[in-house]
Amino acid sequence: MSELNELTPGQLAWLRFRRHKLAMVAGGVLIIFYLFAIFCEFISPYTPDQRNARAINAPPMDIRFFDADGQFHPRPFVYGWELNINEDTWMREYQEDTSTRYDIQFFSRGEPYEFWGLIPTERHLFTVDSESEGYIHWFGTDSLGRDMFSRVLYGARVSLSIGILGVGLTLFLGVLLGGFAGYLGGVFDNVVQRITEVLQSIPTLPLWMALSAALPAAWSPLATYFGITIILSLFGWTTLARQVRGRFLAMREEDFVVAARLVGANDRRIIFRHMLPSFVSHIITTATLAVPAMILGETALSFLGIGLRAPVVSWGVLLQQAQNYQVIVMTPWLLLPGAFIVITVIAFNLLGDGLRDAADPYSSLSKT
Amino acid sequence: MTQLLSVKNLCKSFGDQLIVNSVSFDVNESSTLGIVGESGSGKTTLVRSILRAIDPDSGSVRYNGEAGWQNLHELSAKELLPLRREVQMIFQDPFASLNPRMTVQTILEEPLVIHDLGDKAWRKQRVMEMLEKVQLDPSSAARFPHAFSGGQRQRIGIARALILEPRLVVCDESVSALDVSVQSQILDLLKALQSELGLTYLFVAHDLRVVREFCDEVLVMYSGNVVEQGPVEEVFNSPDHDYTRLLLSAIPSPDPDEKLDPLDRATLNLQLA
Repeated sequence: MSELNELTPGQLAWLRFRRHKLAMVAGGVLIIFYLFAIFCEFISPYTPDQRNARAINAPPMDIRFFDADGQFHPRPFVYGWELNINEDTWMREYQEDTSTRYDIQFFSRGEPYEFWGLIPTERHLFTVDSESEGYIHWFGTDSLGRDMFSRVLYGARVSLSIGILGVGLTLFLGVLLGGFAGYLGGVFDNVVQRITEVLQSIPTLPLWMALSAALPAAWSPLATYFGITIILSLFGWTTLARQVRGRFLAMREEDFVVAARLVGANDRRIIFRHMLPSFVSHIITTATLAVPAMILGETALSFLGIGLRAPVVSWGVLLQQAQNYQVIVMTPWLLLPGAFIVITVIAFNLLGDGLRDAADPYSSLSKT
Repeated sequence: MTQLLSVKNLCKSFGDQLIVNSVSFDVNESSTLGIVGESGSGKTTLVRSILRAIDPDSGSVRYNGEAGWQNLHELSAKELLPLRREVQMIFQDPFASLNPRMTVQTILEEPLVIHDLGDKAWRKQRVMEMLEKVQLDPSSAARFPHAFSGGQRQRIGIARALILEPRLVVCDESVSALDVSVQSQILDLLKALQSELGLTYLFVAHDLRVVREFCDEVLVMYSGNVVEQGPVEEVFNSPDHDYTRLLLSAIPSPDPDEKLDPLDRATLNLQLA
């Protein structure tokens, strides 16, 4: 216990967070997802719009080390698909063509692209030899023969960043308006409170729909992206503003704040040295818990066809393909983006829970 | 004896609830005035309006500081700043009154930084001196408040109040959150510091035994009014007001066999004049 005495509150919070195993795992998963999103051009073997006419609606492939004869190969490989039309049902059926192995090559040449839109290159993390007949579609392909794995990665970039960007904007509005409401009080507080109540009483989905429908269809994908982000955060700030206001009001009366005032500290010092540091951790926690709502909001709008539209690739846009029942029966792998949404949302919620417990300076480390 | 503080007809109400009703008293330098009364009698509101943590509705608080007699409520925030060095406060709750995110060094140094006193090395030295003065290990400076017990935290609170070398120190229930043995240690410390530094205390308490031992004069408050005031022995030995008698009758005796027999409120004349 004695060395605990020397630790800073930040170190103590880290200790408490580390004991939250699920939150640690969730944090790891999110870090991996965000790395994928950041480096999606490099990690994905194809560009999102590249079509493969020989594999339309192809199911996910297995990555193999053992060939059809049971022989081990140190370099992983895939088999190509052989397309058969079932003469009774006229369904396309894919069968593995085990006659040729296509070795997976790393850091190899493939479709040229511009990394982050800046550096032209054609290296990909993994491909199969582009000179050969082979192809690798780890998550299968869609009805146009586009590689689902690549599309999920590119979609992650849009969907995951919209969560962070939206929450950033929400935080800005919420902390600013809530902070001023709590600090100034009076008329300003009253106006902010009433606006909050009005915004919270409107059902969000119809409102989002109305506003998204108002975005000009002629806007570029980037403009639409920012438009959607702003729409999502315009209605997200209210909860945060309320919390910030409440904490400001409560903290103004805290003894240590009164003590600072009594030794002569001015408002700026009190706000920035005493009040803000005490609830930065709460703001981070609230923000973490707000990210999934943003991601789900974007997904919902895009799924309904009024958010982002193709050619932009986001998880919501990808799920649009899975809107009918035929897809679910015939090509269930098109639902994979949904699995990523679920994992991301759960991970953010677990991480938020862990952060909330860790941020509480009064929760004890000595118990358990 | 020089007068240090003079409060005249101080009133404060919240909404239509009158919390402090026309309170007047004087405090002499290097003495201790106890303010007693039950919960809700307006003690805390009274001392906080003296410190200008709350603005009173009417009345005056005159303080005889380095700059001579000044009415605290007529001063602007800027004019008040030098007086903040002379009037300080020790809080009730040692857990709430220290910022949990600052080290003891930062907490104690802050008043010096605000008043722009000395350089970094001098301030560090001063913090060490204060820690020694309140009988804490100087190595505690690098720690955070969570590492200390209630009594130790209260010592830190005392060090913070005294680091600016104030003349008047307001103790708002400063020992009531501590257990009895720690209480007496803190009271001894406050007494020692008083005789060493010539401090004047305004000592708010609800524990009459503590007041009897610690204070020179006492002021009894009942629902916002002063019902009795005078030297401690006089008030305790021959109380004039029924409310004071009620409070005195509620002090438990150190003898466990003696039954506590407080007076019955209904039989007393608690009407305010």
